[in-house]
Amino acid sequence: MSGPNHTVLLLTFARRGEESAIREALALLSHSFPDAAVFAVATPVSAASLELLGVADLVIFDHTRSARRVLAEAARRKPRAAAIVYSGARPEGHLKLEFVALRSGAGRIYRCLSEGSPELVGRVHLLGSVLWKAVLTCGHLVAAAGICCAAFCWLRVAQLLAGGRRASGT
Amino acid sequence: MKATLIIINHNGRHLLETSLPAAVAAARCAGDHPVMVSDDASTDDSLLFVSKSFPAVRFLALPKAGFGAACNAGAAAAETELAVILNNDVVVSEDFLPPLLESLSQPNVFAVGCKFLNPDGSLTHALGNRTSGEWRKGLLYLHHETDPEMLTETCPQLYPNGGGMAFWCDKWRQLGGLDPLYHPIYWEDVDLGYRAWGRGWRVLYEPRSIVYHDQGSTMGRLHRPWRIELISAKNAVLFAWKNLLDPKLFRRLLCEQVRWAADDIVIGGLPPRTRALWTAARQLRQAARSRAQEQRERIVSDQEILARSRGESA
Repeated sequence: MSGPNHTVLLLTFARRGEESAIREALALLSHSFPDAAVFAVATPVSAASLELLGVADLVIFDHTRSARRVLAEAARRKPRAAAIVYSGARPEGHLKLEFVALRSGAGRIYRCLSEGSPELVGRVHLLGSVLWKAVLTCGHLVAAAGICCAAFCWLRVAQLLAGGRRASGT
Repeated sequence: MKATLIIINHNGRHLLETSLPAAVAAARCAGDHPVMVSDDASTDDSLLFVSKSFPAVRFLALPKAGFGAACNAGAAAAETELAVILNNDVVVSEDFLPPLLESLSQPNVFAVGCKFLNPDGSLTHALGNRTSGEWRKGLLYLHHETDPEMLTETCPQLYPNGGGMAFWCDKWRQLGGLDPLYHPIYWEDVDLGYRAWGRGWRVLYEPRSIVYHDQGSTMGRLHRPWRIELISAKNAVLFAWKNLLDPKLFRRLLCEQVRWAADDIVIGGLPPRTRALWTAARQLRQAARSRAQEQRERIVSDQEILARSRGESA
């Protein structure tokens, strides 16, 4: 395992279509930090794709490892840089990865979009993005909770009024 | 017993050039079964092509109402006890029909699905083979078997892929056919299979009935990828709202759907989940009606449906 300050961090969900952006991110990291080893925070699904792309050092984010432990592991390695790979042409979503990049304490953070070349992003700018997306997430949660509450009431009433109930139990 | 082969078409003359001759040949080979094209308001020259090249094929011209409505109209117009629905991008093998009819004659069977291969004969990412499902993260997660060794025997499956399935017309009518709740497309075949199991009938997979499916050749032409993802996600939500009758599971499912919506920002990518929920909510009244109907007719519980469709219980 590489020691502190000799690592760079790759952050991606490794979705289909992201392959070229991942390659670009890897090329950027290895070119800018030739002596540093690449490690990635991955999910069980993305791990296989990342291994195929030559990233062998993976911190797996799954139900056996809490988010706090993954964040601590990323911070412990003190990466010199982090690259976040986005699925689209704009830096939408990916709040989780942006948060990991911030908490890792990486000196430089790059955004790699599916179109265009990677761009350097300041920590303050990224913090603003994380905060804004956290607010948006709260908005989505409230909207979804409203919809699901309405759906629950309406659908359960319809079900109860319909009678039957021969097969509804567990 | 005779079966009507119903090909569902919408502006697919170029697809019919390949799929229709194969269907006509298979119908003749199996004993002169009737063939019909159920046409969803095509504006190309599909009608001209069928009437000139295949005068014996019945052409059912319908107003624009989507895939499900075209299937329902075709099944209603069939004058046989059995029917086979085929997409216009599905090319059947010449001997695909007899095994389907043989499996349909088993006791208590409602429908039988074909074996779907890619046009090159491979199974990579092929959909509709030995389907099963699991309630997870607020939705029914579907599994399509792609291991060739698992696709050698006739066996139960959750639903027959709407691109190539045979069924009993009387049971189809009792079920009310494909639910228009899922307009324009996706999940209506899953719903049909789920409801059939819920009534105590069976749905089978028949690996000897081979068809070749050029997936997405119609939908990919009509809609952009994000729109296809949105339609599919909206219908996945509606499917759960309509069919999950177990109160405890249903409560848990709705809580998971709330969390699922937050993933738009936390994770990102397709499909846009909050928008899918919102789009589904606009059909809440229709979903409630369908759910009430399902509550009246269902005799098998949600867990039992999934277990039986995996062949795990009687």
